[in-house]
Amino acid sequence: MKFQIPIGPQHPALKEPIGLRITVEGEIIRDADLRLGYNHRGLEKLAEQKTWIQNIYLAERICGICSHSHTTCYVQGVEKLMELEPPKRGLYIRTLVAELERVHSHLLWLGVAGHEAGFDSFFMYTWRDREIVMDILETITGNRVHYGINTIGGVRRDLDEMQVKHILDSLEILRKRSEYYRNLGTTEPSFVARLAGVGYLSPEDAVALCAVGPTLRASGIARDVRKDDPYAVYEEVPFEVCTADTCDVLGRAVVRIKELFQSYNIIEYLLKNLPAGPIAVRAPRRAKPNEVVSRYEAPRGENIHYIKSNGTDKPERLKVRAPTLANYAATIKMLKNGFIADVPLIFAAIDPCICCAERAVSVVDARSGEEKIIPMNTLKQLSQKISYGKEKKRVAEWPL
Amino acid sequence: MKIGVFIPELLRHLFKKPATVDYPFEKLEVPRGFRGSPYLRPELCIVCRACERDCPAEAIEITAINEAEKRFRMIIHNDRCIHCAQCVDSCPTEAMLMDDRFEISDYSRLNLKMEWEYVRAVVKPKSEQKS
Amino acid sequence: MATVNTLIYLIIYPGLLFLFLYSTFVEWYDRKLYARFQNRMGPTHTGKFGLLQPIADFFKLMAKEDIVPERADRKMFSALPAFGLAIVFTAMLLIPVWNYSLDRPSVISFSGDIIVVLYLLSLPTFIFFLAGWSSTNLFSIVGGARVLTMLFGYEVPLFLAVLSPAVLANSWRLAEIAAFYRQHPALIPVNLLGFVIALICVQAKLERTPFDIPHAETEIVGGTFTEYSGKKLAIFRLMMDAEMVVAAGLLATVFLGGFPGGPLLGLINFIVKTLFVIFFLALIRATTSRIRVDQVVTFSWKYLAPLAVLQLLITILVKGLIS
Ligand code: SF4
Ligand code: SF4
Repeated sequence: MKFQIPIGPQHPALKEPIGLRITVEGEIIRDADLRLGYNHRGLEKLAEQKTWIQNIYLAERICGICSHSHTTCYVQGVEKLMELEPPKRGLYIRTLVAELERVHSHLLWLGVAGHEAGFDSFFMYTWRDREIVMDILETITGNRVHYGINTIGGVRRDLDEMQVKHILDSLEILRKRSEYYRNLGTTEPSFVARLAGVGYLSPEDAVALCAVGPTLRASGIARDVRKDDPYAVYEEVPFEVCTADTCDVLGRAVVRIKELFQSYNIIEYLLKNLPAGPIAVRAPRRAKPNEVVSRYEAPRGENIHYIKSNGTDKPERLKVRAPTLANYAATIKMLKNGFIADVPLIFAAIDPCICCAERAVSVVDARSGEEKIIPMNTLKQLSQKISYGKEKKRVAEWPL
Repeated sequence: MKIGVFIPELLRHLFKKPATVDYPFEKLEVPRGFRGSPYLRPELCIVCRACERDCPAEAIEITAINEAEKRFRMIIHNDRCIHCAQCVDSCPTEAMLMDDRFEISDYSRLNLKMEWEYVRAVVKPKSEQKS
Repeated sequence: MATVNTLIYLIIYPGLLFLFLYSTFVEWYDRKLYARFQNRMGPTHTGKFGLLQPIADFFKLMAKEDIVPERADRKMFSALPAFGLAIVFTAMLLIPVWNYSLDRPSVISFSGDIIVVLYLLSLPTFIFFLAGWSSTNLFSIVGGARVLTMLFGYEVPLFLAVLSPAVLANSWRLAEIAAFYRQHPALIPVNLLGFVIALICVQAKLERTPFDIPHAETEIVGGTFTEYSGKKLAIFRLMMDAEMVVAAGLLATVFLGGFPGGPLLGLINFIVKTLFVIFFLALIRATTSRIRVDQVVTFSWKYLAPLAVLQLLITILVKGLIS
């Protein structure tokens, strides 16, 4: 018997609204269909009405988890437009925050993977230890999520000796804990049984479907913007691109854990070699007419911002390609012929962060399954019509 | 693959102090430099409007009450504020500062509004002070 | 006197009132343990140490709006929670806590009651399946199908594991089995393997991690309970807790020598022993991640069932040796 199961737009496995329709035969998925547009915020249009400096904070709010990725990507582009050369120390701090963010994002992902697989203890422990990174970020930037450390031409806050020491100390704990999670995540039988062999994506498919980030690297393809097209100070920093060749969710977990260790090394290197000097240069208020594409390796994959300026203090166009969008096509491929039980895991394995565009609401008739697209106004009228003149619903009563 | 690798860790934590904090009754300290809500020190404001111009959330509103007496009113709409501290960075005289409050929710957005009426100050901007 | 005793037995201890209070306590205990395993606090505020939290949850759910899906079979949908609760409470009466006499079989303690308890414990599973099926919700149907699939996996090992102590004790009466092991404490370790298997199967029967597949929230939302709300959900949750008490009671009777010592000492015995069993249930819950439904079936038939047969063999051998 074939039937369709809607996963989302509201579903416990999804942290943000997205529609996933899967056609199943028993427990096996035969087809999957992805619907975007529940989370449209008109962000790109808004960016055209704000000044360069205001847009930093707007870009930051594209995503909560990789907030630093979006600002860095944006700020790098704007610096290119304004022909600014940020000072070394500024770039070091920027990279430091970027790597701290990668650590916090990957730890978060490990926890989410644990939760999706019903391994709540793992989830609680990883998130407890993630708190260490969050605290570091809070002390050095002033906020836990939206760090707001970037500014055009450098960074906004300097590091002092105490903070450097604090980070280096915490790094030791993090290393130990990550080592523990590496052991745990790859040996606990019930957890491995859920991850191994799930969501297979062959290297050819991964390339053909333009997968990015850990999803791509878990298929054995070593592609990383930090290595291929170095920005900030990645040229000077020694690190390796981590890959796995199992092409499944377990591989994606392994890649992320390996990257954690690389990040710890990078952070240590950055802190030990922190150059002295100013942290930012003054930025002009306007940019000459030009256009630029900026690339950045976010924790989830390659992030691209396209910025066009027209000589005023506002951008003419800002286009954001978040890494999740690039991974959607591959997700559909991975879902096919899997089990329903694997949907949350496979979907979570790309570490989705949903922010895309569409402006209509599609209404599905529950009885006939017929779909129509209706605009907002009709929807409003509809809701008024339904509730008009009806008596109020029973108010819940205390039973005693 | 081993069975029950997690058990020692779990049992070890059974009698340990929980990592979580009993929040509304016990509070963690925020670190120095935490970005809470912005506030104004009216005696330093020279009404250059840099904060108003740079605020990404358009949360700062400066109006002149009496141009001749140089009386101004600044309203910070804390409900719109995204706590980015750009106003602090933009302000040339350190008239704008951040406090470290983080429990600022309220039932009405009007209660979040902060208002100052003041006479324009005559202080030199930071950059000029140095020279 | 006998009537009064029976009434007390039915209504106060270990009947309705005690089971209700003790189930909520057990839920608290389980939640608190689970939280402490995870370095969290668990319930803290309602009552001392949050002891009243499950009761508060129960009444909160009772006060919530109760919705029956339009296309569901109304009568069946509403009757199922009550049936389930009645079945579990009946099963509790058969656990020999008090008010039975060893030499004289009565309504609550007779030869073969171990089978009846096991049977009564199987019924809630069907209730869950029917609940899922009658909700007509896709998630519920998938959940219902998973309930049944799992049942085929764990039921046989559970029966084998629980019956092997009975074979050794040469009785089908719970009170007698318990008494036998009290007389021969040295024979308790013989059933250790069976105890472990029974623990795992009970975990599956109670649908807790790693077997919480029928209501795996990240996969199929609420699973069998997706459409249940308000009073019915409250009753289902109470039923799950009571089932945990009964199952723990059954294991404690069969494997740990029952609850001797009249009303008071028996009560203490009961509480200590069931909490001991539930400690392991909570530990299993915290240690593992949810497995897939196909993995449950393969796991049960590949490992649990052969091990249960092995346990039966050991018991028969030991029985041959001692007689
Ligand atoms: S903190 Fe940011 S949002 Fe708030 S008033 Fe200052 S500039 Fe505006
Ligand atoms: S607070 Fe600072 S930036 Fe804002 S108007 Fe006053 S002096 Fe200018």
